[in-house]
Amino acid sequence: MSLLEVRNLEVTFASRGGKLIALRDISFSLEPGERLGIVGESGAGKSVAAFAILNLVSRPGYISGGEILFEGQDLTQLSPQEMRSIRGNRISMIFQDPMMTLNPVLSVGVQMTEVLHAHREINSEEARSRALQTLTRVHISSPEKRFDQYPHELSGGMRQRVVIATALLTESSLIIADEPTTALDVTIQAEIMDLLLELCELNNVGLILITHDLGVISQVTQRAVVMYAGRVVEAGPIRDIVRDAQHPYTQGLIDALPQQTSPGKRLNQIQGVMPSLSNIPKGCPFNPRCPLVMDECRTRVPAYTRIGSMRIACHAAGNTQRRSRPHLELSKA
Amino acid sequence: MKWATSCVARSFLKTKSSMFAFLSRRLVQAMLVMLVISVIAFSIQDNLGDPLRELVGQSVSEAERQKLRNQMGLNDPFVIQYWRFLKKAVLGDLGTSYFFKRPALDVILDKLPATLELVFGSTVIIILFSVPIGVFAAIYPKQWFLRLVMGMSIIGISIPVFLTAIMSIYIFSVELGWLPSYGRGETVELYGWTVGFLTRDGLLHLILPCTALSSIMLPLFIRLIRAEMMEVLESEYVRFAWAKGLSRRRIWFLHALKNTLLPVITVGGLQIGTLIAFTILTETVFQWPGMGFLFLEAVNRVDTPLIVAYLIVVGLIFVIANTIVDLIYGLVNPTVRLARSYSEGD
Amino acid sequence: MIAPAWRRFERSYLFYSFRRDQVAIISFTILFIFVLASFSAPLLAPYDPYDPMQIDIMDSEIPPVWMEAGDQRFMLGTDAQGRDLFSTILYGSRISITIGIFAVLLQAFLGISIGLVSGYVGGRLDNFLMRLADIQLSFSTLMVAIIFLAVFQALFGTELYEKLAILMLILVIGIAEWPQYARTVRANVLAEKKKEYVDAVRVIGLGSLRIMFKHILPNTLSPILVISTVQIANAIVSEAALSFLGLGMPVTKPSLGSLINSGFEFIFSGSWWITIIPGIVLVLLVLVMNLLGDFLRDVMNPKLYKD
Repeated sequence: MSLLEVRNLEVTFASRGGKLIALRDISFSLEPGERLGIVGESGAGKSVAAFAILNLVSRPGYISGGEILFEGQDLTQLSPQEMRSIRGNRISMIFQDPMMTLNPVLSVGVQMTEVLHAHREINSEEARSRALQTLTRVHISSPEKRFDQYPHELSGGMRQRVVIATALLTESSLIIADEPTTALDVTIQAEIMDLLLELCELNNVGLILITHDLGVISQVTQRAVVMYAGRVVEAGPIRDIVRDAQHPYTQGLIDALPQQTSPGKRLNQIQGVMPSLSNIPKGCPFNPRCPLVMDECRTRVPAYTRIGSMRIACHAAGNTQRRSRPHLELSKA
Repeated sequence: MKWATSCVARSFLKTKSSMFAFLSRRLVQAMLVMLVISVIAFSIQDNLGDPLRELVGQSVSEAERQKLRNQMGLNDPFVIQYWRFLKKAVLGDLGTSYFFKRPALDVILDKLPATLELVFGSTVIIILFSVPIGVFAAIYPKQWFLRLVMGMSIIGISIPVFLTAIMSIYIFSVELGWLPSYGRGETVELYGWTVGFLTRDGLLHLILPCTALSSIMLPLFIRLIRAEMMEVLESEYVRFAWAKGLSRRRIWFLHALKNTLLPVITVGGLQIGTLIAFTILTETVFQWPGMGFLFLEAVNRVDTPLIVAYLIVVGLIFVIANTIVDLIYGLVNPTVRLARSYSEGD
Repeated sequence: MIAPAWRRFERSYLFYSFRRDQVAIISFTILFIFVLASFSAPLLAPYDPYDPMQIDIMDSEIPPVWMEAGDQRFMLGTDAQGRDLFSTILYGSRISITIGIFAVLLQAFLGISIGLVSGYVGGRLDNFLMRLADIQLSFSTLMVAIIFLAVFQALFGTELYEKLAILMLILVIGIAEWPQYARTVRANVLAEKKKEYVDAVRVIGLGSLRIMFKHILPNTLSPILVISTVQIANAIVSEAALSFLGLGMPVTKPSLGSLINSGFEFIFSGSWWITIIPGIVLVLLVLVMNLLGDFLRDVMNPKLYKD
């Protein structure tokens, strides 16, 4: 059984001017202990998808279709009470900016132990020692001292360690990390990412890593989902995607990576910008920016084509012009 | 009003300072404020009324008057006279009321419990109603009853305190005859204080004045709390709290409310001055035997020592109340807690 | 000259929102009628409340016409001195509104100047001025006004004071509330200062004063407009409160506040209208201004001073 299987997920935002569909036909799955990357430009709907899994899409958005099977249980059918017992307990989330995710007026200890109190019958002594243990696991020195401190007394990197520790407290089987290192200093980004990966691997925790950086995903995850304008445009094993991307958008993302350009040259970039939710073009949403656009793309939304283990939503899939480019360095994984 | 959210406290507490430094700075500021008030009070005393006239009457000759003036030091330079005034004031001697023929401070302090009782009652009303209404109006912005309350709040803000007082007297005392219209009613002596809220009669007398005094502040705070709470509910840390699977109660009343309260406490501190001014209005309408009522009487009688004593006492209350508000702010906001050794290392 | 400006206004977002907001339309209409009526009081009022010849003490405490003992001559009844309440309210509103407007003009002048200088110069001066503003605000306008007016009244004696009352009220309310403007203007200046155009203008070599008044000030107009609406309402309330305490306008030349004060003791004998009718007028006036202020704030969404 998959750890998580999202099937045809649809999220709608109801506004005064009518309904806007933010996510359409999103499907992907994740095995226990597996790492999945969701990649796309800002506005592609990555974060909405992440919040939808926890049924926390902010108003006026709501899940308007599809299934989210977590350990065989459809999360969209759960009562608020049942859903609450999943959040932070079976599925934990790590947010982008640790400066904003920790409550400034509550101590680190309170913000950690409250998760245990919410999901376990546990007294405060035990909760405290569990929290201290976990703080040690994320390599925070003198955890007793940190436990009583407030977020403003910690550095950004340390705060993100606290957030990661909070996610690990309840032994969740899935962690969703939404750009977990973007807001941090470049010097500690790799450190935090390594820590996150190491702990997930150690505890056999599934990880969904959301980022705009295909480079990161190519190094740390096993599979990737590429999103554009609220849809999945390409999905499959990261190795195949990086070597053999079929969708022009994915190819564009790969070409835009700094590794793809020799020093001193301009970085490649995809022309144009992502359309806003309210004026997604007819047909394939990528067609105004697509270098391979055909007449069909302007009228018909492409269905998914399977090529090997990949799934692509492109009319040109399979007969895409292959552009010669050096392969991305893959991590040892 | 929201933009008036100033911050005496926050502006100088932005730096993480220890409680000791905070308190000593607060003390210095309080002393400065008191010094300014005392200069104002002394100038009033210096210019208003002639202590000699009160002492000896009109029949004394000009030469004798001059002699007396010299003896009393009334011809000394301003600074010396002020210094003398200050020394006496510190010892609690603020002169003798012309009208009551008693030490002015004693006269004022006699009336202090009545005013404090009024302020206390209104504060309880304001806190008891504004927090739940403001919080729930932010959580359920579409609920009809709360929308009605929010609509009413703009009307509430537009009715001046003295008018609320008059109208409530007219409706509940004159027309309906349910509640007494003036005075404190029956009071009991408790540790040297006269207390009204321990008797049924005293309580009945408190209802209208307290309601009137809180009538503008209550809608003001409801609107403020609602606006702040709505902002906080949108914050990342509240979202994170949801993602942690905490109960709604904990998220609303701990995570969100504690952050909402910070600006509310600051505004509360700013309103202390206004509240004191409103006690004068309320006490006038209800003939409440408090300090404000006494002050207006003293103004009409040109009872200078009493005016001066009122200014000093009110100034003290103002300074003490502001310090208490700052302390509460420091308790809620960890950034102004006692200094801990915090390192930025990672 | 006026036509193009009007047309531009007609097409503006402000006017567009206004036409769609019933509360704003009603409030504006009421306010407009109010101001118009009170400023044409000498034309509209059937009696002149300042002319002792027109007042007959025998006419005192006549209830409004819709009550049994009402008199056709006095639509809203008469007060304790026999003055026609309708006329007195018209004249009283004129005084209240005048004081409100002039006090706010003074506030705006002081506040904008201080705010501009404070924000533009910055440094120690800015620190000092803003600390001063904090302290001033925390003392509350009403408290400062009560003390000053009480002392002045005791100093001058009631007679001279009554002559100077309008001026004193404008001065006290005007001076006490400058921080409201100063802080908002300063916040806006700080925001504008960062923008490139100010640098650009400075590079051209224009002087500081010119930059402030010609380039920065126009960009702070919308918050000033929003504040002003509410501030006039506040000034009118402050004036009414002071007059109610007997520290404002005298009964012989009453504002709404002194009218309410003069009628207060009569509610116990049943002559409620002397107090309640001017009271309702005052509330209505303040309410429509607050509603307009809310409307303007929502529409213009200006950068108002917040901590």
